[in-house]
Amino acid sequence: MLLCFTVSATSFAQGRRGLRINEVMVQNDSNYIDDYGLRHGWIELYNSTYNHMEISTVFLTNDKANPRKYPVPRGDVKTDIPARQHVVFFADNEPNKGTFHISFSLTPGVDNWIGLYDTDGTTLLDEVIVPASLGANQTYALKQDGISSEDGKFDPQYWEVRDGSDEKYITPSSNNIIIDTNENIEKFREHDSSGIVMTIVAMLIVFAALILLSLCFYLFGYLNARSAQRKKAIAHLGEDADAESAAKMGHDSGEEIAAIAMALYEHLNTHDIEETILTINKVKRTYSPWSSKIYTLRETPVRR
Amino acid sequence: MELDLAQFLTSNFQQFWEFTGFHNVTYEHLIMICVGLFFIYLAIKKDFEPMLLVPIGFGILVGNIPFQMGNEIGIYEENSVLNILYNGVRAGWYPPLIFLGIGAMTDFSSLLANPKLMLVGAAAQFGIFGAYMVALWLGFMPDQAAAIAIIGGADGPTAIFLSSKLAPNLMGAIAVSAYSYMALVPVIQPPIMRLFTTKKERLIRMKPARAVSQNEKILFPIFGLLLTCFFVPSGLPLLGMLFFGNLLRESGVTTRLAKTASNALTDIVTMLLGLTVGASTQASEFLTKETILIFALGFMAFVIASASGVLFVKFFNLFLSKDKKINPLIGNAGVSAVPMSARISNNMGLKYDPSNYLLMHAMGPNVAGVIGSAVAAGVLLGFLG
Repeated sequence: MLLCFTVSATSFAQGRRGLRINEVMVQNDSNYIDDYGLRHGWIELYNSTYNHMEISTVFLTNDKANPRKYPVPRGDVKTDIPARQHVVFFADNEPNKGTFHISFSLTPGVDNWIGLYDTDGTTLLDEVIVPASLGANQTYALKQDGISSEDGKFDPQYWEVRDGSDEKYITPSSNNIIIDTNENIEKFREHDSSGIVMTIVAMLIVFAALILLSLCFYLFGYLNARSAQRKKAIAHLGEDADAESAAKMGHDSGEEIAAIAMALYEHLNTHDIEETILTINKVKRTYSPWSSKIYTLRETPVRR
Repeated sequence: MELDLAQFLTSNFQQFWEFTGFHNVTYEHLIMICVGLFFIYLAIKKDFEPMLLVPIGFGILVGNIPFQMGNEIGIYEENSVLNILYNGVRAGWYPPLIFLGIGAMTDFSSLLANPKLMLVGAAAQFGIFGAYMVALWLGFMPDQAAAIAIIGGADGPTAIFLSSKLAPNLMGAIAVSAYSYMALVPVIQPPIMRLFTTKKERLIRMKPARAVSQNEKILFPIFGLLLTCFFVPSGLPLLGMLFFGNLLRESGVTTRLAKTASNALTDIVTMLLGLTVGASTQASEFLTKETILIFALGFMAFVIASASGVLFVKFFNLFLSKDKKINPLIGNAGVSAVPMSARISNNMGLKYDPSNYLLMHAMGPNVAGVIGSAVAAGVLLGFLG
């Protein structure tokens, strides 16, 4: 139980590190509206892990000196983000409007630093500096969902400005790259429509794995046989040594030894006395209806 | 008042009638019920894999009782009892549990005594990829083709596991097809074995296998896991459980766990797996053109797998000295229908030479086939998942 708890607690702690700031809009004039029908800047968080993640009590802030500026409230089922999914927080400085309305707003025309801190308020999970040049209705987004520097430090090479065009689309609460096909399948469909490449590659892998396994066990078999031979040789060596020492002592034949043993036996008249006493005890078992076979049998119905 | 009462009773009866299976039955339901009855007949009267066909056959009956949707009865209705049990198939956790049991009940010593027989298990996987190519040619998508082709591995749990990941909509047909052909191994394989072997080859006597030490048996699951799963990590759920079960058996210190895994646990999961797979074949979902194609492709995959095992042994014999030749009758055992296909090798061997027992030799490729098909499934999942 302790082990299970430790393992699951560790994995939970690791899981929080998978929370990422994924897309940010600073000035929202004609884009995503909140549940009150109003427009504000917004911050999208992304659960990059392959397990759901409860994010209540993590902190969002735009002030490095105050990392606990907006704690994500407890008790809202919507703060449990499914695997590889998103939530959007509205930066309207009106936290009383609900869980997803945070206690600060974003300022257009200046660099906006946004930090995401873990429950302890000191561990930085992720950060981003949204450039001052970001225009109205544009977002600053990760090029690929959830993929940024591993230590959570801001690195502009993972980010890009999106203006809502066909190539640079804006995607609040959904993937930054819209996936409408399985890339792997499409690749095989395009380049290996007959399946020959797959057959050759897959059979090579199957053969390689099993050849390796068989070689491994040839080796184990060989080592095992060698070890058995060595043990046998040592045993033989022991037998030879015994024979040698016997030879040094004299040339007594088996008959002579048997005769000496018999003589000694007769002389000492050693009869081994049995000390064991045999007794017969009556075994008593107290009767109880709980263990009675009679009571577990059903009576044969009598036809009247 | 009397009229009202009569009207009330009539409407109630009508409502009840509409609720019954007699009202909702279609000819597709009846066809599926006949299929279920046929499976039960094969299992009980012909003794074809009764452990599989009885639960599946009965499951087909359960799944094809006509009813009105919306009462949380059917297997495809959320929160129904059958739906909850079906979760083990849909989410793919019954097959690894079965593999745990297979590992705990399989003695790999025949394979360890003659490791080259592993290659026969690998060669039989040609069945999977032959069927994959044909399925692509027939117009299936690569992921669907892979899920169908795995039937050629002759491994029900692997087929269910892969199809639940790659083509969940085809899983019912694939599972029933895989288990049907596994049950029909005694009918399908002997003609193929006769076709591809000469009488002289069938009489080859193989050297008795050497004794395998306990250490080798313990090392096998550990190294087996490390080597195969480093190659194909996507096969981890199946191979991990297979080798774990085997270590429980061979370690000698976890006898109780091995017993539970190989008896009670396997029995429970087999019942649930068979019943829910059978029940998933609801006529509306099952009786389609695709199902017929899946059955045809599955048959073909089985034939190719058996033939390639036999032919590979013949090819292998070209490189072996006279006293080390392998009887090609054990080639069919490369498909992982354990131990049925090994038993067929033995029976065929005895038929041509009443003192030539091939069972222990055939068990080698047979268990290698289990590993091979799990590796092949891992490869397909890795490429197409």
